[in-house]
Amino acid sequence: MKKADFIAPDAYPQPVSRSDAAKISRALKSSDVLERGARVIQQSSSILRMGVLDYVRELEQAGSNPALVFDKAHEIRGFAETAGLRATGRIADGLCRYLEEAAKRNLTADAAVVALHVSAIVRAAHAKDEASRMSDVVAKELSALAAHKLAEAKTGAAAN
Amino acid sequence: MPGSALERLSVLIVEDNQHMRSLLRSLLNSIGIREIYEAGHGSAALTVLADKRCDLVLSDLSMKPMDGIDFTREIRQSPKSANPFMPIVMITGHTERHRVEAARDAGVTEFLAKPITAQSLYARIAQIMENPRAFVRCASYFGPDRRRKAQEDYAGPWRRSDDTQDVHVR
Repeated sequence: MKKADFIAPDAYPQPVSRSDAAKISRALKSSDVLERGARVIQQSSSILRMGVLDYVRELEQAGSNPALVFDKAHEIRGFAETAGLRATGRIADGLCRYLEEAAKRNLTADAAVVALHVSAIVRAAHAKDEASRMSDVVAKELSALAAHKLAEAKTGAAAN
Repeated sequence: MPGSALERLSVLIVEDNQHMRSLLRSLLNSIGIREIYEAGHGSAALTVLADKRCDLVLSDLSMKPMDGIDFTREIRQSPKSANPFMPIVMITGHTERHRVEAARDAGVTEFLAKPITAQSLYARIAQIMENPRAFVRCASYFGPDRRRKAQEDYAGPWRRSDDTQDVHVR
């Protein structure tokens, strides 16, 4: 069997010299650069919210298309927290985990569990007090419901 | 950071959501990077790369018509590719194992899980600049060396041309 070729980093062109790379690395770890970056994210949050709301609209319209629900839920999970929508992100994360786990076990996702998550995501994303305690309670309850449904399916499968 | 090496870097952002593209652009601007190109999906990004020199790609995974995995494969394997060694950071909210493995096997350099933070983005750029990855070429793969850690007790098989039992990979 022919062995694979190993190409060391100094055997192909690098974008910057080693000394510049070290300077870049130091600069990117400095506290003022990190603070400036965090401010950029904070200042962009209202624009990012519009992006999340686009995805939320698409999630609502996805209806019973499981692949589309899966895709949009992941987009919202990846986006919401950066946009300052912590509760929306948390509920979307719960839906993603549920759908991933169901897929891993070859189960059809429970339509009611999905619909409740979607409805909660829509409400949270539009709520004025998005990060309220109530949103946390909803996220927790939905997570418990999803876990219960997965456990139920497991018990059902064992009984068969 | 005027006059810094960052000012000389050019970056391509491949992302289907314009708001995320805008955020990434602002984050890059804030560290002094001025030469930034944008594309909404993989095939549009290939068109940009055919015309512009880029030092780094930040790509989303899930896009249509060409996703980040097929885009990465094109950069690594296409005879038309301007730079098969291009560092590619895959930014994704999809963390399922099969997707991550598919992206890794396509030749992605680094992963960045969403939600992104300034710190996580800058850390990936620093990592790519300061510790560039070795590449591997074989019949079924071309891309960054997928071995991330040295396995002290690894006893073979030794499949790479420079492999000896003394080799330790960082």
